[in-house]
Amino acid sequence: MSEISGPFLMVNLERCEGCHTCEMACAIAHTRSGTLFGAVLGSEALFPRNRVIKIAEVRLPTQCRQCEDAPCVKVCPTGATFRTKTYTAVNPNLCIACKLCMMVCPFGAIQTTNVQVGERTKRAAVKCDLCIDRPGGPACVEACPTKAITLTQPIEVMEAAIHASSERYLEAVKAQATLAKQP
Amino acid sequence: MTTYSQKILDKSIDPATHEMLDHAQKTGMTTVWDRFEAMQPQCGFGELGLCCRNCAMGPCRISPFDEVGPKQGVCGATADIIVARFLVRMIAAGASAHSDHGRDIAHTLLLTAQGKASGYQVKDEKKLDALAAEFAIAIEGRTKEEIAEDVAKLAYSQFGQQEGALQFTHRAPEKRQALWNSLNITPRGIDREVVESMHRTHIGVDNDPVNLILHGLRTSLSDGWGGSMIATELSDVLFGTPTPKRSAVNLGVLKTDEVNIIVHGHEPTLSELIVAASQDPELLALAKKYGAKGINVTGICCTGNEVLMRQGIPSVGNFLQQELAIMTGAVEAMIVDVQCILPSLGAIAGCFHTKLISTSPKAKFPGATHMEFHEEHGNEIAKDIVRSAVENYRFRKPGQVHIPDVKMECMVGFSVEAIVAALGGSLTPLIEAIAKKQIRGIAAVVGCNNPRVKHDYGHVTLVKELIKRDILVVTTGCNAIACAKVGLLLPEGAEMAGEGLKGLCKALGIPPVLHMGSCVDNSRILVTCAAVANALGVDISDLPVAAAAPEWMSEKAVSIGTYAVASGVYTVLGVVPPVLGGPAVTDLLVKGAEGVVGGKFGVESDPFKAADLIEAHITAKRVGLGLPA
Repeated sequence: MSEISGPFLMVNLERCEGCHTCEMACAIAHTRSGTLFGAVLGSEALFPRNRVIKIAEVRLPTQCRQCEDAPCVKVCPTGATFRTKTYTAVNPNLCIACKLCMMVCPFGAIQTTNVQVGERTKRAAVKCDLCIDRPGGPACVEACPTKAITLTQPIEVMEAAIHASSERYLEAVKAQATLAKQP
Repeated sequence: MTTYSQKILDKSIDPATHEMLDHAQKTGMTTVWDRFEAMQPQCGFGELGLCCRNCAMGPCRISPFDEVGPKQGVCGATADIIVARFLVRMIAAGASAHSDHGRDIAHTLLLTAQGKASGYQVKDEKKLDALAAEFAIAIEGRTKEEIAEDVAKLAYSQFGQQEGALQFTHRAPEKRQALWNSLNITPRGIDREVVESMHRTHIGVDNDPVNLILHGLRTSLSDGWGGSMIATELSDVLFGTPTPKRSAVNLGVLKTDEVNIIVHGHEPTLSELIVAASQDPELLALAKKYGAKGINVTGICCTGNEVLMRQGIPSVGNFLQQELAIMTGAVEAMIVDVQCILPSLGAIAGCFHTKLISTSPKAKFPGATHMEFHEEHGNEIAKDIVRSAVENYRFRKPGQVHIPDVKMECMVGFSVEAIVAALGGSLTPLIEAIAKKQIRGIAAVVGCNNPRVKHDYGHVTLVKELIKRDILVVTTGCNAIACAKVGLLLPEGAEMAGEGLKGLCKALGIPPVLHMGSCVDNSRILVTCAAVANALGVDISDLPVAAAAPEWMSEKAVSIGTYAVASGVYTVLGVVPPVLGGPAVTDLLVKGAEGVVGGKFGVESDPFKAADLIEAHITAKRVGLGLPA
């Protein structure tokens, strides 16, 4: 397997009800207090990194796909956006909120907003960070009431596809054998 | 000594509850706590009060997010409008529950007066006469039935009244009545305010958050000084005004060798007759025939409080213990009427021989046998219900019986009249005790249980902190039972109080926490506040008093908290109400209200910090009255 092939958030379209719970969980997970009431009572801004949309009667959350050869990393003039082994990250210290990454992101997954760096409030680009420092993993995955979102390794998608196609192949072979026996 | 998992210990402070939760786990039964866990995380939009389903352009959800997402519903309602509308609807629902209870009691009194009810009589003629005098109803030369009929009809008329002020609002200090009039929030009619609440919160009607909240206050006042007060006063007339008496609480009051009946719900109309029927010689003989030593009637929730304070009937526990009570396997029948009855009970009863019997035409439950109750045949129906419980004793499976050996004695029944009597005939000794700082003030700690809070921890911790600081506590509802379980409702409980309060309790032989009844009996607390304020010639908002609902969950509690605030009482909630999504509404409730009605809400989930807030408020009010802080 290649050196970098990190996990990503996969959405089961049949399960998503469009309830926005993942947005709420995302916003809360990225506050300092870490709780809804704590954030509201502490006047902390709530800002989700994902966005639930509806297209042709299908609802789904959208967020950064953690591109491995990410255009946002390529265009960043300050080196704020970078790729780790597991995800595509933004360092708010270095970010100047120039929006170049927003322009080149094919998924519209990056926004700029106020962020807290130490005691300073500044503008910076924010995007899904897979809740990389959160012990329970991504908050959206945990919060989704229908379990529509999963943190998935590319290899799992690959294996699922291999199994599904192999099953179909075996069925076809079996069917052919049956047909061949008939006069 | 059995040890329980940390998970179980974290759910409650009550050993009987620990034991039953362990038993439930071992036998594969689920409880309200399991369902609460399965529901996590709960919807943040709902928690902030930001969703609206009031019309079919929606459902709408306002974004609490910085910069992104819709800030108005489809109709244009802002977060504050949506939060205010929803709060008013919660108040209206809570007020409806209390007031409909009051209407039922007025109905029972009317039928009793007309000789149409079976099993009832006017038990407290003194209170009837006092009410008649208050209502300007003639007493001289009339029978108690004639007087009772007029009192019941006047009480009935309060529900449909269109103009003027509800009768009992005149019990409030004159300053308070004048304030309500000037704000145009004097409740006119009990049903009218609820109907107007529903009208105003309909799409496209009242869209001014302040105007909405003001009507919410009026609606809550129609409960506290209306429906709830009618329920309390007329229940006293019918069943007797409570006097101090001893009883016991917790699951250990269930008996292994008797027919166990639990009355659950809120209204005393049926539970009183169940108590009477359980003493019927024929039914007792039947119980003996089946090998039971007797018939043990117990209560839960507020109908339990009603028969506890009038008949000394023991209580098996508070709201969160209702499922556990059935899981003891020793309950022949749980008889329910209205309010706070979990729809999960039928399925649990189905695992045992227990019969869940619903009785109100308003409230049916899955898995329940419906034996509809009507006062016209009250005695007969009550006997039928008790008989079906006795008949069921045969089917108890001894192998399934698991009753925790946990119970506590308590002293209950402190109606306003009983408090005055304990003080020697007037409230003066209480006022003097406050003035000379033997006690600092009075706090009403009331309200439900809620699995969001460790069961009874919020209640008991706050109450213990308050009495330690020489603040006398009065209690109703599920808080009362929580306090009873740890011995706070015993005169000996004074040992847990500060020196001043301890001295007062010992001198009078009373507990440091006074049980004033069920949740409609919060009206007794209003009457007490009004009487003290009137004696001092001040308003309720000037008194060193406060209220708290550490574990509240019901819409009734929202109405109670709101009428407390509208009556001038600082009220601390232990559970955050769904309003934080509306910053202006939140600000109004926790700050602005004080400048308008003299009372406001506080929100504090840590009971120690809540005690600090209450103490600071009481100290400030003492200073305001020129008393030593």
